[in-house]
Amino acid sequence: MSKKYDTIVIGGGHNGLTAATVLAKKGQKVVLLERRSVLGGIGAGEEFHPGHWSAGLLHETGSIRQHAINELDLKKHGLVTTGERASVAMLGKKGKCITLYNDESRTVESIRKYSEKDAEAYKAYRSFINKITPLIRDIMDQAPPDLVKMGNKDLWQLVKKGLGLKKLGKATMMEFLKVAPMSVQDFLDERFETEFLKAGMAGPAIYGSFTSPRSAYTTLNLLIWECLSTEEIVGGPQNLIASLQKAAEQAGVEIKLNNSVKRILLDQDRKVKGVQLGNGEEIESNVVASSCSPSETFFNLIEPNQIEYSLEHGIEHFRSRGTTAKLMLALDKPFTLDEFENELQFLRTGNSWLEMEKAYDPVKYRNFSNEPILDIYLGGKAPEGHGSLSILVHYAPYELEGGWTDQAKKQLEENVIETLVQYSSIKGSIIGSELLTPVDLAERYNLPFGHIFHGEHAVDQMLTRPIPSCMQYKTPINGLYLCGSGSHPGGGITCMPGYLGAKAILKN
Amino acid sequence: MPIKTPFFPRTSELCDSMQWKEWAGYYAASSYGIPHDAEYFAFRNAAGLLDVTPLFKYKVTGPDAAKYLSRIMVRNIEKLKVGRVTYCCWCTEDGKVVDDGTVMRRDENEFFVTSADPCFSWFSRFLRGYKVELEDISEKVAGLALQGPTSRDILKQICDAPMDELAFFGLTKAKAEGFEMYISRTGYTGDLGFELWVENEHALKLWDSLMSAGKNYDIRPAGIAALDMVRVEAGLILKDVDYYNALHCLIEDRMSSPYEISLGWTVNLDRDPFNGQTALKAEKERGSSWCIVGLDINWPEIEKLYNKHGLPPEIGSSAWRDSIPIYTDSSKETQIGYATSGTWSPILKKNIALATIEKKYEKYGSNVQIEMTVEHKRHTVSAEICKPQFFNPERKTSTPNNQKS
Amino acid sequence: MSQKYDAIIIGGGHNGLICAAYLAKVGRKVLVLEKRHVLGGAAVSEELHPGFTFSVASYVVSLFRPHIIRELNLAKHGYEVIPMDCSFLPLPNGDSLARWADPSRSRREIARFSKKDSEVYPEFSKVMTHMGKLAKTVIDYPAPDISSLHPKELKALFRLGKTFKDLGPDLLHLNTKLITMSALDFLDLWFESEVLKAPMSVSGIIGTFQGVRSPGTAYVLLHHYMGQLDGAFRSWGFSKGGTGGISMACANAAKSFGAEIRTEASVDQVLVKNGTAQGVILENGDELTAKTVISNLDPNRTYLKMVGENHLEDDVLKEINRYKLRGSSGKVNLALDRVPEFSCRPGVGEHLKGDVAIAPSIDYLEKAFDQAKYGEFSTRPYINAVIPSLTDPSVAPPGKHILSCFVQYAPYHIKEGAENWPKHRDAFGDTVVDTMAEYIPGLKDMILYKQVLTPWDLEQQMGLTEGNIFQGELTLEQLLFQRPLAGYAKYKTSINKLWMCGSGTHPGGGIMGAGGELCAKSMLESRAV
Repeated sequence: MSKKYDTIVIGGGHNGLTAATVLAKKGQKVVLLERRSVLGGIGAGEEFHPGHWSAGLLHETGSIRQHAINELDLKKHGLVTTGERASVAMLGKKGKCITLYNDESRTVESIRKYSEKDAEAYKAYRSFINKITPLIRDIMDQAPPDLVKMGNKDLWQLVKKGLGLKKLGKATMMEFLKVAPMSVQDFLDERFETEFLKAGMAGPAIYGSFTSPRSAYTTLNLLIWECLSTEEIVGGPQNLIASLQKAAEQAGVEIKLNNSVKRILLDQDRKVKGVQLGNGEEIESNVVASSCSPSETFFNLIEPNQIEYSLEHGIEHFRSRGTTAKLMLALDKPFTLDEFENELQFLRTGNSWLEMEKAYDPVKYRNFSNEPILDIYLGGKAPEGHGSLSILVHYAPYELEGGWTDQAKKQLEENVIETLVQYSSIKGSIIGSELLTPVDLAERYNLPFGHIFHGEHAVDQMLTRPIPSCMQYKTPINGLYLCGSGSHPGGGITCMPGYLGAKAILKN
Repeated sequence: MPIKTPFFPRTSELCDSMQWKEWAGYYAASSYGIPHDAEYFAFRNAAGLLDVTPLFKYKVTGPDAAKYLSRIMVRNIEKLKVGRVTYCCWCTEDGKVVDDGTVMRRDENEFFVTSADPCFSWFSRFLRGYKVELEDISEKVAGLALQGPTSRDILKQICDAPMDELAFFGLTKAKAEGFEMYISRTGYTGDLGFELWVENEHALKLWDSLMSAGKNYDIRPAGIAALDMVRVEAGLILKDVDYYNALHCLIEDRMSSPYEISLGWTVNLDRDPFNGQTALKAEKERGSSWCIVGLDINWPEIEKLYNKHGLPPEIGSSAWRDSIPIYTDSSKETQIGYATSGTWSPILKKNIALATIEKKYEKYGSNVQIEMTVEHKRHTVSAEICKPQFFNPERKTSTPNNQKS
Repeated sequence: MSQKYDAIIIGGGHNGLICAAYLAKVGRKVLVLEKRHVLGGAAVSEELHPGFTFSVASYVVSLFRPHIIRELNLAKHGYEVIPMDCSFLPLPNGDSLARWADPSRSRREIARFSKKDSEVYPEFSKVMTHMGKLAKTVIDYPAPDISSLHPKELKALFRLGKTFKDLGPDLLHLNTKLITMSALDFLDLWFESEVLKAPMSVSGIIGTFQGVRSPGTAYVLLHHYMGQLDGAFRSWGFSKGGTGGISMACANAAKSFGAEIRTEASVDQVLVKNGTAQGVILENGDELTAKTVISNLDPNRTYLKMVGENHLEDDVLKEINRYKLRGSSGKVNLALDRVPEFSCRPGVGEHLKGDVAIAPSIDYLEKAFDQAKYGEFSTRPYINAVIPSLTDPSVAPPGKHILSCFVQYAPYHIKEGAENWPKHRDAFGDTVVDTMAEYIPGLKDMILYKQVLTPWDLEQQMGLTEGNIFQGELTLEQLLFQRPLAGYAKYKTSINKLWMCGSGTHPGGGIMGAGGELCAKSMLESRAV
């Protein structure tokens, strides 16, 4: 055995880096093990065509939590934020476009071109979001309540906290309780009339879950996204990773790349005693923090007979059916739209409920969409005068009927481009591409069934994420902690699972 | 609707009483004649032949078979030798008993497991990571229990296996005329006896050869009613009577640990992880709350109670399976447990019972009060706490060629 | 001012009749007004063809609250439910699955498809019993009002919270799963075989505009386990003489306590003066006054038709307009000249005496739903069929039988517009008969009479807005303290002295009787009547 660490962090994605740095800053001796040759996990930029870079698998950085940035001094380490929410364009076919700006009045003007009613409705919508934001952030910024140890007193506290809901004012509280379980389609239909606006707005409600806009509880996902979404990071996830890396190094985290973990080693009493690397080397520590998915952690890194069945059953049924593919396109000119404003970085398609629903149907039958829903980022690095498009494609199943053959991949890529063409004329300008199906994502990023959030954001997989016995980041295995997207508050680039996971380690 | 076992063509012909019960979805003869005393005495004096096909049967094969079973069972199956059988139970991860049964090692990498409840789903849950194959052979294999002092001699007539050498809890493969079978020296009677396992197609051949060879040894088909009496005498517990499958219990109070149902002796704690290990270690350290004891119910007091009403003692000839309260004294102020099954033992001339009581009252030789209803009135009579094994003849475990277990 | 009636109840459905019975029992003067010539609302029996008594709409009973039967002595008044013994699933490949009351028999049947599943059943039942216990504490009482800061409500909330907490984290989590997951995902926690999951999952979608993969459909699975908790051996059953038998028992009980019941008395509107209900105006122009008015109609009809927009405050009007009732099911009732036999399991066995599900696979069910999403009825529908005449000979002439088919999906809002349903009625009926005929050879030649009810017909005939059989969708935002409207979820409405007692109130749809009972009890407790 080599030298002993206070904590071994597995996985060098944004959560792993955050966890390692938080611990190291508190004086812990920490080693971080990354399987790949680059840090960043899903946030790592990848050159997919000479000179053309993706910003990482996910491209939104607006949900990263402020106190994590502050505590890690990321700004000192080169992190620059835009100071405002990113502008997102909702695209309709035939050149229609509404942009949601940080500046509400500009947004309202953008909407007004299509609908007076919607412009007014948007103001009310934002005001509702602003009212519930403190509540949602409060929940997402803290470790979930400990259900296992909860006594009557804690319950009373919780009821009173629930009554914190009442601080919202009765009307807002009742409205929140009314709409949270609703389908995003019903929710937005109650407010807006412009089809492509509603379709675009609904995007975040369905990302990473096996649902369509007409599925119950999708409104809750939209509200969470709206409440968490703040200023973006300049340069996207790649720059976040760069500053996290600097912060980690500064704090004394020992970073080992190209080091896959084969096993988490346990002693006789099933307590963590270290890890064994792919090369056979063993590293000693009584604490391991895994930012890998729960299924990777418990099923691949732990010996099969070391976990109880209830844990195994729980993790096995932590739903993580990948429904998202990623397409990178290299263009020989910058991407343009008719109504395009050059500050734009994010675009969403959808166009109508009907088309979104039709995009969803095939995935239920193990097929991908003919006309998928696209979530597009324009900020990937590209040579001067060129463009890089980073496209999250909904829906594409992990288990495709007939398998992910080259033929199938080609077909999906074609479907995406044909869809895109209905919004913009890019066809002639594509000079390179890379398609990552859920199977490819699973392989490259070690995502369970290619699921971009390690597990679906469904109501029963929030708070108690991934399962009750692990929801406090510690697990039934003494010394093993979870600090990845499979823990509260879940996937997306928030750094919070890493941050809260580290806090849980420090507390114990 | 129950279905028929492969022995049904014979058992139905012989079952003059038409007394049938449902056992795990099969028709099972409750008793062949009325009353069933003759069947009881067949078990104790000659040989009783009981259809045990309704037991669930599993085959576990593969290089990790022993390791895998050790993970499931409270016993360390890796230590079980080929040709040996062990009796044990299996637990949830909370250390509560799911079921009990026998595990037989047919070969280095081949095991045969019997259970009272269907356990395929439960066993399957622990397959991950082991190189084993689990097969449910319940409906492929028929079973007969041949139990009683003459059972060995009968078997000698029909097969080639060295029966005089087969030790208690031993297992052997045997050839008979036209078929093969496994013989294990096991049973549920607490007497000399064997259990015979054949493929369904040979079931009737086995039955017929036993019945014909057994003629001179007073063989007799026996039903569950007689079995119930002998198993209480032997102190063998019964699932759904003396304890419940933890997976089916709505409340924790209904679940039992092995220690609480007198199966603590089957638990091997210090070894690789197995289901319930942590909980059982903790219980062992802390001490259990409950235990199973035998009760020897005071006969003179029973006589006296009946006498008061001008009656002779009317104790039924069948075993019973009701829950009957046990108290510290006749004031009935402190209930310390409940009897779960009992019987009049014709051979011991005793009224006996198995009871679950609070562990702190487990003192052999001390007296408790058990409720007894006479002429529609509830009374109590005293009973002496004893080891839950009332009858244990030397022949049960001895082997002529002296290879003791 | 002296009134002839303490309460006028609009609508003689089972809830209205139960409400009447409870009020009359303690001496209140009650009048029930039913639009149709026959009582029962959706729980109605009608002889549509000579000798054949159809349970026209609602056709099986499971959740009827047993304490109502005891308290109103309904057995004396003719309540009789005969339990069903089997759930039968014919499969297109010639196989079939029957699930029986006998656990070993069910286990063997299921084991043909999955041995594991066959054994998991008892564990599943155990957990569901826990969940059902919890649900019982919810459905047997009015829902605590979360919007109120009243200490009494807070305590009720705390008590409810404690009940949940005492489940422990795992069951609590499971409860969250049950409420929010799709029926299919929930069943996936236990079972692997589609042949089992498909027919089990459909109980989650009956009457909803959801598919078996739609989140929020799992909790209806509980209904199967509630019966047990009520002390019954089996949970589903046929009402003697059709489901109208239950309504008649309720009516007889109400009458025995002195309630007055009028049929063919259609109410045109509630008489509202100064925000207070004073009585009703019948369609024939008669005005009847009462101290209180109780509506057994759905919330939409009650507020918008009976009361009228001009009597509603803006926020109430806004909320009632948000109330969703998208009906999704239809009914095809057939009179047959012999027993319909299934080719996959021929003969007139016990398997025909329960319910028969046409739900051969998950994809089949989901595809049926997909069509409904786009405004078409399913051309390959999910069908829940029963042959009540095999259990209750009183509903058909000797040797003749009734095949009653509940069909999903038949969306109220078809592409062509709901009012065009009559043009599609025959095609819808044919689809159902064709589908059944695939499993029952010669079915078409057995038909003596056919009744096809589209959601449009349910609305026109029974007054169910948008043909919703539960008087409103059973989604979480329309349940508990929000059924039908937040702030008016305790049977009171925004109109003074106007109350509601139908399925559109807590705890919701199905023949439970709880709405009628809890409304009456709430009124009595608050001395409203």
